[in-house]
Amino acid sequence: MATPIIMPRQGQSVESCILTEWKVKVGDEVSEGDVLAVIETDKASFDLESTASGTILELFWEADDDVPVLANVAAVGKEGEDANEFRPADSGSSAAESDATPSQDPAPISTVEAQPAAASTAPSESPVPASASSGVSPRARKLASNRGVDAETIVGSGPGGRVIERDVEAFLAGRPRLSVSARSKAMDGLEPPKRGSGLAGMVLAGDMKVPGAIDGARIESVKGIRKVIAERMMQSLQSTAQLTLHSSFELTAAKAYRKQRLADGKPKVSLNDLIAYAIIETLKAHPEMNAHFLGDRIAVFEKVHLGVAVDTPRGLLVPVVRDSSDLSIENLSSAIKKLAGDCREGTISPDDLAGGSFTLTNLGMLGVETFTPVLNAPEIAILGVGGIVLKPKRSESGEVTYADYLPLSLTIDHQAIDGAPAARFLQTLVSHLENNPGEPLSQPNEQHEV
Amino acid sequence: MKYDFAVIGAGPAGYVAAKKAAGSGLKTLLVEKSKLGGVCLNEGCVPSKTLLQAAKTYHHAKHGSVFGVEVEGLSFDFPKAHAHKNQVMDKMRNGIAGLMKKHKVDVVEGEATLLPGLAVSINGETHEADNVLLCTGSSPSVPPIPGIDSGHVVDSTGILNRETLPDHLIIVGGGVIGCEFACMYASVGVPVTVLEAMPEICPNLDAEIASTLRNELTKKGVNFMLDTKVESIDEKSVSFANADGSDSVEGDLVLVATGRTPNTKGLGLEELGLDIDPRGGVRVDDRGATNVPGLWAAGDVTGQAWLAHAASRMAEVVVHNLTGRPDRMRYDKMPAVVYTSPEVAVVGLTKDEAEVRGLKVKTGRIPMAINARYLAENPDESGLCKVVLEAETNRLLGVHMVGGACSEMIFGATAMLETELREEEIEEIVFPHPTTSEIMKDVFMAVR
Repeated sequence: MATPIIMPRQGQSVESCILTEWKVKVGDEVSEGDVLAVIETDKASFDLESTASGTILELFWEADDDVPVLANVAAVGKEGEDANEFRPADSGSSAAESDATPSQDPAPISTVEAQPAAASTAPSESPVPASASSGVSPRARKLASNRGVDAETIVGSGPGGRVIERDVEAFLAGRPRLSVSARSKAMDGLEPPKRGSGLAGMVLAGDMKVPGAIDGARIESVKGIRKVIAERMMQSLQSTAQLTLHSSFELTAAKAYRKQRLADGKPKVSLNDLIAYAIIETLKAHPEMNAHFLGDRIAVFEKVHLGVAVDTPRGLLVPVVRDSSDLSIENLSSAIKKLAGDCREGTISPDDLAGGSFTLTNLGMLGVETFTPVLNAPEIAILGVGGIVLKPKRSESGEVTYADYLPLSLTIDHQAIDGAPAARFLQTLVSHLENNPGEPLSQPNEQHEV
Repeated sequence: MKYDFAVIGAGPAGYVAAKKAAGSGLKTLLVEKSKLGGVCLNEGCVPSKTLLQAAKTYHHAKHGSVFGVEVEGLSFDFPKAHAHKNQVMDKMRNGIAGLMKKHKVDVVEGEATLLPGLAVSINGETHEADNVLLCTGSSPSVPPIPGIDSGHVVDSTGILNRETLPDHLIIVGGGVIGCEFACMYASVGVPVTVLEAMPEICPNLDAEIASTLRNELTKKGVNFMLDTKVESIDEKSVSFANADGSDSVEGDLVLVATGRTPNTKGLGLEELGLDIDPRGGVRVDDRGATNVPGLWAAGDVTGQAWLAHAASRMAEVVVHNLTGRPDRMRYDKMPAVVYTSPEVAVVGLTKDEAEVRGLKVKTGRIPMAINARYLAENPDESGLCKVVLEAETNRLLGVHMVGGACSEMIFGATAMLETELREEEIEEIVFPHPTTSEIMKDVFMAVR
């Protein structure tokens, strides 16, 4: 009895996943727990593991398909078993298409034909591909296959738009000559340039480029997390009125606090943890900064759900410490550490990547002095932390000494909040970090009459 | 006079460019300060190959007993060999002159100076040109060795004009030029000592090809001293230092063959702001364009390849680009030959070069003695053929040969490389039997 493998639900907020890459093919033997594919939500990527043992009977989706959660992605069973009953109605797989093409001719099946994903991007004189029903003559298919061309992408001139040999010849005539090595790359879906770098413009293997290639550049498609980041960033900049305020705080007290903790034998907290904690404490005195701007209304949150930007091999992720205003500095520190680790390993649950009310981002360790963070909309504020700078300061006696400072950049959505209240938030934050870091906010800010 | 195209230097870059450009309808000027044909025809390829053939003929006559050929009273008339050499050069020069006339190229003798705004001044006359090709070639380098200006010290140009055989020839430099002259003189019975600073001769070759050549030349009587640095030259001897300490070797003729230097002086290039690389070559892109608009360069003056056929190809590329045909140099498919006996002929990447480029390779290697024709003709010689393939695709990356007259078949390997043939295609090519060229097919059976 064949068993379907379903697309697992990756957290409550996820409706579908991108199937980035198949790790198996039809006919492979798999055991329970083997990795079948790499899947990606809009926030992170995961391995799709087999929930059954046996032979892969069907793969219902192509790489890069957006697969709804709980849909069947593959079927595992005994070799020769029919798994068609598990085929999802809306899958775009090649098998489904060829079923709908009973006129399929018996010519040898070309490599390109077996790869519809590549076929859709193969070179073509015309953007209009021949329709599946009109078909390709066996001679045309053979010629096309031999020359590394996808016959399906050529406009046919035969009966009903059928692609015949003449069409393939005409298509080839308008193309540069390909070396045999280049031709084998064409089979893999790469495209030749108009003119190659070899003999009299012959296209060499090194000239073959992925569709849409640019000279001197490597092309990667924008998908998965990159795509989501791109959309969010543009949406943030287009839908908000961003204003960044710069300040800095003297590190002396924070350093002393961390030193004292060590002396007391308490768990280590990082400078970033101290700032995270300070934000949460400061937001208690400035709740208007802990909010979402929703166009016609502003949602001010009761608790702080602090997002912390994490640099991962897959791109920027912002895990959220839910109810972070309920946590002690020790618990906040370990929560941030765990979430950041999950992000880097790719095991973060999508639910932990949503629902923030304020975000902290730190580029100080990368040598950046100051920067203007981009809002994680609809949040109305984000705090950026730069790298340590040595600055002169004047003591009460008028003597000039030097001290380490850490630059802070607060970006706000001016639609929701004005510059002065944001500046007051920053003032309280700096004062807290300079006077009682790691401790609850001692006194409410009293400088409201500006 | 106003020209479409002015060419400075009538060597294998210059005359090829002039012929092609004029043939494409460009009004073309060719300037030469000395003789048509450049270093190649007058001081390099052609005279040296003529004398090498003389030496080879003598050597075959002397060592013909294996074929049943016994010669008594064998002698070598060096002046007569020179006369043949001079005749060949005259014929070739006349051929070039005829070619220029046929294509209506204006040939002017004189020293050219380039003027800003692209004009060429020759013998006090100024000619404007839309495009200028600089192909002034190169000259033998003069290393800073005390005593190098002694009367018995010659460079490759000087030695080609000497019609007497020395008692002992010392060659400073075991590169291509040094090896060819070592072979020539050793073949006619002159004791030859080659002093090479590097651990192997011809350091650009595959190491095994180079050592095979060295062994074959040693059999002919050449004494190679590797890792040896020349310290000074005096009237009778050359002093050197190596791991064994300092010593000297006696000889009555010293050939200095330590490389060549691009000819860029006295042409007004400094005033044009022409970009010259630290090694003295005119910097060009893969079309032959310099940083000065309208000024192009080809051949040895660019400090690239140092080969006559590369110079001709560079010139062709320039003219193609000027006449609307996109073209570019492909240096990695440039064949190179050492015209010793046996010859060395190579094209493409060595295994080491391929691996430096991050390519995963497999290689094949067979001795030439498995080939019937080679064995029949070269009974006492060790030849070798090696191929380098890209492991994943089976694409041919390089062919490296030493043995017999392999220079005559390297073009086949070049064609395979230029068309990016793979092992599968090459297997289906028919090679005539019995020819030495079959070695290039058989070597694939040894690929692993």
